[in-house]
Amino acid sequence: MMRRRLGSLSVLALICSLLLATTEHPALPAVLKAEAAPAPTPTPPRGKVTLRFIVNQNDEQIIAFKKILEAFQKSEGGKWANVDLALEAVPFAELFPKILTSVAVGAEMDLIQADGPVMKHYAFNRVLQPLGKYFTLRETRQWHPASLAEGSFRGQLYGPPIMQSCSMLMYNREFTDAAGIRPPTRLDESWTMPQALEAWKKTTRDLNGDGVPDIWGVRLGQGTTYADYETGIWRRSNGDKGSNTFKGVADDGITFRGYLDTPEAIEAMQFFQDLHLVHKVTPVEPIPNIFESKKAAFMVTPDNRVGAINRLYPDGSFKWGVTGIPYFKTQVCHTGSWHYGISVNTKKFNEALAFVKFAAGREGSRIWYNNVRQLPANLEIYNELPEYRAGGQQDLFFEGLTKVGVPRIQTPGYQEYFQFFLEMATNISTGANVKQEMEAAVRRIEAALRRYSGWNRQ
Amino acid sequence: MTTAVTAIRPLLTPAQRRRREYLVALLFVLPALTNFAAFRYFPIISALRASLWDYSLLGGFGNFRALGQYARALEDPVFWHSMRVTVEFVLLKVPVQVVLALGLALVTQREVRGMGVVRSAIFTPVVTSMIVVSIVWAMMYHAQQGLVNSILVSLGIPRQHFLSDPVLALPAMTVMTIWKDVGFTMIILLAGLKGISHEYYEAAAIDGASRFQQLWYITLPLLKRVMLFVVVTQTIQSFQVFAPVYAMTRGGPQDATKAIVYYIYQHAFSFQDMGYASTLSIIVLFIILTVSLVQMRVLRSDVEH
Repeated sequence: MMRRRLGSLSVLALICSLLLATTEHPALPAVLKAEAAPAPTPTPPRGKVTLRFIVNQNDEQIIAFKKILEAFQKSEGGKWANVDLALEAVPFAELFPKILTSVAVGAEMDLIQADGPVMKHYAFNRVLQPLGKYFTLRETRQWHPASLAEGSFRGQLYGPPIMQSCSMLMYNREFTDAAGIRPPTRLDESWTMPQALEAWKKTTRDLNGDGVPDIWGVRLGQGTTYADYETGIWRRSNGDKGSNTFKGVADDGITFRGYLDTPEAIEAMQFFQDLHLVHKVTPVEPIPNIFESKKAAFMVTPDNRVGAINRLYPDGSFKWGVTGIPYFKTQVCHTGSWHYGISVNTKKFNEALAFVKFAAGREGSRIWYNNVRQLPANLEIYNELPEYRAGGQQDLFFEGLTKVGVPRIQTPGYQEYFQFFLEMATNISTGANVKQEMEAAVRRIEAALRRYSGWNRQ
Repeated sequence: MTTAVTAIRPLLTPAQRRRREYLVALLFVLPALTNFAAFRYFPIISALRASLWDYSLLGGFGNFRALGQYARALEDPVFWHSMRVTVEFVLLKVPVQVVLALGLALVTQREVRGMGVVRSAIFTPVVTSMIVVSIVWAMMYHAQQGLVNSILVSLGIPRQHFLSDPVLALPAMTVMTIWKDVGFTMIILLAGLKGISHEYYEAAAIDGASRFQQLWYITLPLLKRVMLFVVVTQTIQSFQVFAPVYAMTRGGPQDATKAIVYYIYQHAFSFQDMGYASTLSIIVLFIILTVSLVQMRVLRSDVEH
């Protein structure tokens, strides 16, 4: 009965939104139209309110959430002092299934740390509450336009951004100096892949002569898996701008044949495999925290690695540098990052909204940055961060974001694509036939995403 | 003199007594039955229903597919591959584990000083978390940093990519699960051995039977019922292997350890295809049921003691 009622309501809401959409300027997102109707002031809470928040298992990020909460409780003269967060930290690979099942069974869940490319999926499946009408034009303008687009679906804002991202090639200066390598300092002088390979070969070192490197040339991406965020860059980079290889997926968001399995994409992934098995500059079995523990000379990563290094080496003994991300034909970094989402299951919407507004606002974003040290999505705080100005330690990340950054492929089935891609890349890294693996991935992804046909039609 | 007359309740008829006993028995098993109904039978019926539809957790029920999902499974090469991996795992694990457990049970059945400690040591892995031991063993198996490879290298044996080599991954995972589960099987077989009367062995010894003949003609036949229980439960458990796959290999490398339950999990929670996941679950249910029935038939014991 309830389900039927919800279904009817959602159909009604869809029809209403469609009717409204036809009467408004199509190019203007709903978030930008909220200026005329001021956002309602959240009702002050009475008793203690605990918001259940499903977050990514990451030390720096969890510390940041706790510090943001402390500041939030003191904000507005202690108006939200009785609001608390119950953080439920879940490993990245488990985050989506956890959110999915929590929503499906109607579990008590108020806030979600949602990955950018999955925002459309969450919106399409009504996991998140639309938030456009609660934010004024001025509030939405504080965020990077790419973040705003990523957190929106069919012109409606579903999740304010936590931060932005762009991966570059970080390196341990101790190892590059020892190898006599001076990586380029300007983005337009970045290494091509073959040039980077030479540097990775020179920095791969077997110190004890047991046949296994003690210092590896490179780690290709965060964590211990091969996710689309970094690994998906290679195939796109081997295409000219605007080509199918560069696009990665057709405009319909569900066609991958001719995009994921082009000869250029296969060539790029063959290079990726050779790094493991032929050149042996990166381990086949990933080593956790390989860069921070000084077992890899280079790492393809966003600048959150700086936050981890600062936490692990507070005395500044880890000397790091950053150079542009290597490329084949077109230099690319994937943009987008985490967003705040408010669950459809929440019964504490006012408190959840107040927290999200604070956390994604100037003060919350600054606290986040101080702990995580990754490109902020809140543009207002860049003026306070000299490291992103020309010549600053992290300026290449910002330059990369603005000059070579592209969002990950746009599809409501990103989560499914993500899983298939992960398997494909992992299999390739361990020696699977590249062409066969990519063609099989295309078949499986397209079969799984068939249900989204017509998803981006208004 | 008066005689006191006491009203005596009429005795229950046998039928009434039987009814009352059934009622009491029913009350005792009611909690277990409720548990089974709520957490076993209801999900099976729900899965059966979901298997006939396009169904996802978020999207709910979509198109009615009748037996379409079952036809899809028959044409799905990854399903067949997963089934093959699962059968390989069962065939690798169950016989080795049962033989090893029987050996350990025969050794540890002797009541000598310190044997309790040995039994406890063998049983300890059983009470540890499968996820935890899987993660620890994955670290031990690591090609560059693992303990196992350090030992191999110190013995002059080259490093092995236990979890990234498609040939080695499944056997490596099987070794870990045998280590984890052998203690439980040993305890069950030990209980069976303790139940065999010494008189049989004494009589056989008087007749001049060797140790091996005693094992072959007395122990094994009289252990057949216990063996049946062990083989059936271990086969069912092995068909359902999930945690080690999830924690150690995620089905890799190159699908070498993609057991069927992990494949079902992927469809349910990663690919958002709960309808197809339900279909595969029902198919696996019937496969396990059939295998168990065959095992019960083959290992049925006519020997009573």
